[in-house]
Amino acid sequence: MSERGLDDLLGVQDGDAGCIAGEAILDQFADLQLAGDDPAAVFPGTAVHLRSCPGCRADYEGLVDAARRFGAPPE
Amino acid sequence: MTAMAPSVSSGESSAPAARAVGSDTQHWVEGLRSSSPHFRRTTAELHALLLRVARYELGRRRHALGSIGGPELDDLAQQSASDAMLSILSKLEEFRGASRFTTWAYKFVIFDVSAKVAGHAWRHHRPEEEPAWEQVPDAFAAQPVQSAERREQLTVLSQAINSELTDRQRQVFVAVALNDVSIDVLALKLGSNRNALYKNLFDARRKLRACLAAAGYPLPAEEVSS
Repeated sequence: MSERGLDDLLGVQDGDAGCIAGEAILDQFADLQLAGDDPAAVFPGTAVHLRSCPGCRADYEGLVDAARRFGAPPE
Repeated sequence: MTAMAPSVSSGESSAPAARAVGSDTQHWVEGLRSSSPHFRRTTAELHALLLRVARYELGRRRHALGSIGGPELDDLAQQSASDAMLSILSKLEEFRGASRFTTWAYKFVIFDVSAKVAGHAWRHHRPEEEPAWEQVPDAFAAQPVQSAERREQLTVLSQAINSELTDRQRQVFVAVALNDVSIDVLALKLGSNRNALYKNLFDARRKLRACLAAAGYPLPAEEVSS
């Protein structure tokens, strides 16, 4: 943690949807991003959450990566 | 979803309307119904895809798996693909076509790999006890240039970690925010879950920000990690 600032350590933002809400729509969030749309406009609470929750962010990055590599073409 | 804090929203219920179902999604949904004449072929096809995703995702998270060998890694991938397949078949009727079927299906294998990696890490590479919170200012002090104001900020932060956080908030904040312990591994250690620990982390951060503000060191309201 030696190079971190306080903003990094203490970052919070109102409107955080939490882990469970994000899990439910993570596939939609990923497909919006892959389609070039703005998922934060549709799911703002999850966008906030993914910035702050390391576990959900890792899952999301994995899902986007998998959908990009092994997904069917956009429908 | 679980309510987190007064300023945390209660969920993301504004899902977009289901899109027109494409031929690929239709292929999966119809073929995976137990009454389908193509059920066996379609499940085998999906399992093969899930296995590829599981292997890839395990590779992506390799750093958390220590010295696990090839056969053991592949066994983990097989387990994740099979467990995800069971989840997908049991939830098939819940799929509304709001995303591509494959993206929806991959979500289950990603979650399963995530949980299995945390379980493996917990069983085989348990994190050492975190440094005590008293070491927080020392770690910051390692930075070469520090103003007197910065040092005072860190003293306030250190005192607030000690006096304002609950034991659980302190434990989670020190482990996850300060020491980069995986939130899922910590959840296993504490017999909890990611969502509950995230709420602890969120509440701890808000308390600490409030303490800094009360001491004359407010952080910008919109300041978030990115």
